[in-house]
Amino acid sequence: MTAVDLGPAHAVLEDMAPVDHGHAIPLLQNIQESYGYLPREVLLELSSETGIPASHLFGLATFYAQFYLEEHGRHTVRVCRGTACHVRGRKIIQEAIDEELGIGPGETTEDRRFSLETVACVGTCFLAPVVMIDHDYFGNFDPKKVGEIIGGYE
Amino acid sequence: MTVLSALKTVNLTIDGREIIAHEGDTVLEAALTAGIDIPRLCHDPRLKPVGACRLCVVEIEGERGLLTSCTMEVAEGMVVATETDSLAAKRKTVLELILDDHRVTCPTCDKNGDCALMDYSYRYQADQFAFGGYKPGLVEPNFATGNKAIAFDPQLCITCGRCVRICDEVVMASALTFKMRASSVEVTTPFDMPLNETSCVLCGLCISTCPTGAMYDRAALGQGQIKDLEKVQTVCPYCGVGCTMELNVNRETNRIVRVTAPEGSVPNDGNLCVKGKFGFEYVHSAERLTTPLIKENGEFREATWDEALELAGRRLRELRDEHGPDSIAFLSSCRCTNEENYLMQKVARTAGATNNVDQCATTCHAPTVAGLASTFGSGAMTNSIDEIKDVDTLFIIGSNPTEAHPIIGLEMKKALKKGAKMVVCDPRKTWVAQHADIHIQHKPGTDNMLTNAMMRHILDEELHDPEFVESRCENFEAFRKNLQDFTVEEAAEVCDVPAELIRQAAEMYAKGDPSSIFYTLGITEHISGTENVQNLANLSMLTGQIGKRSSGVNPLRGQNNVQGGCDMGAMHGDFPGYQKVADEAVRFKFAEAWGVEIPTNKGGRVTDFIEQAGDGVLRGFYVFGEDPVLSEPNQSKVIASLENLEFLVCQEIFMSETAKLADVILPATSFAEKDGTFTNTERRVQRVRKAVDAPGQAKPDWEIICLMSTAMGHPMEYNDAGEIFDEMASLTPSYGGMSFDRIDEVGLQWPCPADDHPGTEFLHEGQFTHGLGIFKEIRFREADELPDDDYPYILSTGRTLYNYNIGNMTQKSDAIRQKQSKAFVEMHEVDAERLGVANGDLVKVATRRGEVTVKATVGERTRPGALWMPFHFVDQPTNRITNDAFDNITRTAEYKVCAAAVTKSE
Amino acid sequence: MDRALLEGDPHSVLEGMIISAYAIEATKGFIYVRAEYPIAVLHIRKAIDEAHERGLLGDNILGSGYSLDIEVREGAGAFVCGEETAMIASLEGERGMARPKPPYPAVRGYHGEPTIINNVETFANVPLIIEEGGAAFAESGTEGSKGTKIFALAGQVNNTGLVEVPMGATIREIVFGVGGGMPRNREFKAVQMGGPSGGCVPAAHLDLPIDYDSLKEVGAIMGSGGMIVMDNTTCIVDIARYFISFCAEESCGLCAPCRLGTVQLEETLNRITEGKGTLEDLDKLESLGEVVQQTSLCGLGQTAPNPVMSTLRHFRDEYLAHVVDKTCPAGVCTALLPVEATVGKEK
Repeated sequence: MTAVDLGPAHAVLEDMAPVDHGHAIPLLQNIQESYGYLPREVLLELSSETGIPASHLFGLATFYAQFYLEEHGRHTVRVCRGTACHVRGRKIIQEAIDEELGIGPGETTEDRRFSLETVACVGTCFLAPVVMIDHDYFGNFDPKKVGEIIGGYE
Repeated sequence: MTVLSALKTVNLTIDGREIIAHEGDTVLEAALTAGIDIPRLCHDPRLKPVGACRLCVVEIEGERGLLTSCTMEVAEGMVVATETDSLAAKRKTVLELILDDHRVTCPTCDKNGDCALMDYSYRYQADQFAFGGYKPGLVEPNFATGNKAIAFDPQLCITCGRCVRICDEVVMASALTFKMRASSVEVTTPFDMPLNETSCVLCGLCISTCPTGAMYDRAALGQGQIKDLEKVQTVCPYCGVGCTMELNVNRETNRIVRVTAPEGSVPNDGNLCVKGKFGFEYVHSAERLTTPLIKENGEFREATWDEALELAGRRLRELRDEHGPDSIAFLSSCRCTNEENYLMQKVARTAGATNNVDQCATTCHAPTVAGLASTFGSGAMTNSIDEIKDVDTLFIIGSNPTEAHPIIGLEMKKALKKGAKMVVCDPRKTWVAQHADIHIQHKPGTDNMLTNAMMRHILDEELHDPEFVESRCENFEAFRKNLQDFTVEEAAEVCDVPAELIRQAAEMYAKGDPSSIFYTLGITEHISGTENVQNLANLSMLTGQIGKRSSGVNPLRGQNNVQGGCDMGAMHGDFPGYQKVADEAVRFKFAEAWGVEIPTNKGGRVTDFIEQAGDGVLRGFYVFGEDPVLSEPNQSKVIASLENLEFLVCQEIFMSETAKLADVILPATSFAEKDGTFTNTERRVQRVRKAVDAPGQAKPDWEIICLMSTAMGHPMEYNDAGEIFDEMASLTPSYGGMSFDRIDEVGLQWPCPADDHPGTEFLHEGQFTHGLGIFKEIRFREADELPDDDYPYILSTGRTLYNYNIGNMTQKSDAIRQKQSKAFVEMHEVDAERLGVANGDLVKVATRRGEVTVKATVGERTRPGALWMPFHFVDQPTNRITNDAFDNITRTAEYKVCAAAVTKSE
Repeated sequence: MDRALLEGDPHSVLEGMIISAYAIEATKGFIYVRAEYPIAVLHIRKAIDEAHERGLLGDNILGSGYSLDIEVREGAGAFVCGEETAMIASLEGERGMARPKPPYPAVRGYHGEPTIINNVETFANVPLIIEEGGAAFAESGTEGSKGTKIFALAGQVNNTGLVEVPMGATIREIVFGVGGGMPRNREFKAVQMGGPSGGCVPAAHLDLPIDYDSLKEVGAIMGSGGMIVMDNTTCIVDIARYFISFCAEESCGLCAPCRLGTVQLEETLNRITEGKGTLEDLDKLESLGEVVQQTSLCGLGQTAPNPVMSTLRHFRDEYLAHVVDKTCPAGVCTALLPVEATVGKEK
């Protein structure tokens, strides 16, 4: 495994300085924005640079659903599991997407093209059922069009 | 004196009883104080309450719903019900939920007998199968797998979070965390790293707080369930903090199984460090000496006690008779009890008829005893450990408390949590240095330049306390005049630190409300050790930061009973209680009591003894529980000197490096095998109790000393340690009011002159021990050996967290050896780069006296140009290379500065 | 609906916050937005910048000597951070674990300082009240609940979207009036109100005027303002299971009843939907649900059993069908579908 470049991490720290305990979550968010996930080496470096214990950063990274400790896909597919989506057939959509990508929620395709997640309500209940790919919304999602929609992301 | 605001009281009713509590108390605290036991699993008085387990919920009139008593503060007129049918039913359900998530292994669980979950399950008759019962899954390795100190069984964990919180809040090590959330939540380390690769300091507080058997002492597993163990309360045998601990003994096997500390124990508040917690295996080591040994033709052979004593007693007596009082010497042991130290100096002065008696304080804190006695009149820590948490500005110089005195370190952390400021003067970036407001990383050996500059600045800025100086002290004018020769700028140059930092440090200390000084061997182990101490006394008197609660001058003493060793008069010039041998009335008192004539030879210190042995002046030497070959500087010279002795008798528990040179070895006992007392660094006299039987023919040291006295022709006999203590107390005013009965649980702090005296928490209130405090005019003197072209680095030596002195006790512990078993040298990365040394490389460290080869620890902990080495390892004896230059007053060696060279080892 | 306000009218929220902060002399404000609402984050950040430019935020606002700074924090994916003490923990850089009350945040909140926490919609109402006066605001609404309320109408209803109605409007008015009724004229079964910890209101209460008090009476809450309409193709036991499984996953894991109790409720409901339920299970749901409600540390656990409790109350027959008759009237629970072939084989 190649060593992770710590340069971007230092850039984030510099940008956010001074970083104290209270900024641990935005710090991790920015690091994930920069690396796509939270590499272990980077978290250990953040800890020694900021004095925020590594245990603390690890505790945050595993508590909040947003954070990934493993390298992530280039695109993130999020299936809404909110109530409105649930009563309007979220299950069928989930099955269709699982089949199309060949992975389950929380997993990443081998070619790192997609990571699949579920999300607790994206706040567009009137479009239920909803799927988000990266920052795009797909409302009234038709399970038959899964292939077509997924195909739009390389 | 700081006036502590009187705590307001609050009246409330709990379970129909009228209760008076303090404002700010929680309902739980008030109930517990009143003897009402509310069930709780996530509560530990050492931690901030979080209300997680929900067992302590109570009904409070007028409040919506149920409230956790651990978080609810008492209020006037509050009416609380802690035990109703409805509460009991809910607690039962919550316990059943927890039991369903906990593998019930009580029949094989070591915690059986001290498990809160088990107790409450029984109390509320919770059914472990109410929700179907625990379904064990695959057992996977975890962060503690393979760790020899701490074991963790996630199947027993009820995720109360106490271990995570104590590691974070109390230890501030933050090695543990919760991972994930909801029912997936689990306790682990960052990235599930093995414990020994994390910031864990192996203190075992996680174990101490675990309410179930999830966190446990690895070595204790299977050695006896708690219900079958007997707890013997005693005192830790390691540093001078004097933690109260319980040896958990399996009577069937005559073994200590684990070590615990009772809740709220004094002075450690239920806490221990790695050494106290995991460093007891030496007691049961197979290397213990079990029979007397006599050397014949260069080889030891087993001997009977009679043989060994006859030989040793006769030879010492013969040498004394033939060559006079300076031809024999007695080295007492600060690892041993007050009773034994009292007897050792008594034997020296009666059977030995010499004042040639000393103990290890000469190696460490003799400058403290001399320096503080000459300024304040009393050579000891002025304040109590319990007062540290209320200090406003901690001034720490030449001290690494979180490693050398970890429990005092915890008290400092309490102060920091309460908002205290901290100034640390240390050439190394220790934990306290890294967490300090101001870290002065001065050049080793420049302390007096620094202190003088600070005092000069304080005077210039008029931040001193003129009233205190005027009314409480003398010799101020001469002192002030002396300071005129020192400036902050010059100090900045000599100490190699920014002038501004010196000013800020001076101001922070002077303005603290209150400030307190803490120091250790970074101050004393210099050729100017006593002057260094005197100058800290000056600093405190100048600012009036002395003689009040949480404010004074606090030497943190190294060995468990080095305070007691000094108190007991195991010193050439002092009888017990620092009564002077030179004082004829005192000599008369002891002559009366002991029925002998008291010798009047001046006597010397251990460093003198070694030199005199080399010179042939000293011929016979009785070494008790000390290993000068490893602990004194310039080892080859020490060995040559000791080899030159005509007769050496060692009283030891192990075949030490010094014992190897002995003619007779007497097998002795560890702290766990005898009764007596230790006096800790805060002057607290505490009971040491026998927990297990000594191995083989080993005898309690006080018995051996009596037998030696008798063998030397001065019969001595006591029935038990208490009888010795009583004799000592009757002759020692500061201990006069103490007895085994009075010190039974928490001990007493001297001075305690009368039976009804409560002991003394802090010294010098109102006036100093000898009246007025005496300002000393201290000049700056360079260290004895400065770096030059051949030896360009400054080498200092010291202690680490995991090991203790010469390592013969700590290195017997598997848990400790796994963490740290080899010597190393810390060096700055700039130097390492120049020398082409990488972290972990072997390097040769050489001085004019020899060389050792150790691993390099490269980083930023030392100053560039400075080296640091521990001295715990017999394989790589650091004292082979240290400098035998001594403090001009106490003959304490300059372990903190010598010139050294480093080369990469091929 | 909060999302729509932040995206569509961020200044109303900001203005409400500035006024409220001024009233309590707070100098620091936070807007905690879910990262899943990127446009809301973008718009509120822009609004803050604009407010700074015009001197409505920052040092010495409009020369008043009063200063206020507002920072946007993006949530990192934890439902529990909607609970005020968990949100404070999150703002302080901690795991979003709830803290016991009292002390309430208004006494000891963010970093121990008094802290007021309000919903986006509440703040958005403030400028209106200041401008028009309290009486004008109170003109609409009921005795106990003043003003209007925005609902997010969704589920099996013809018109979905945000609906602003006066407090006191009936469910029938919203679902069959604004909502345009049920698709394909299916039978209205229930409306789920208040998000995952709300309750299911049955057809019998279609004419219930909605306000805070009336909802509480029927075992529901206003909560998030979500109104999910369900017809007879929705299995009420499945819905209860769905909600409790959500809460079980979103529990912060700190307190025992929520962490463990929600899982037990979920497992019991699983058994029922799999046809393995017993009558005792129904009692157990109720008694355990009550313990979880009463002993949990924070609002999440205290309300997590609501959907279970409210459906048990209003739809007991449907539970009995699952447990006694081993059938799922809505035809959702696959294990309980009448598959003759399978039964025949087994015989």
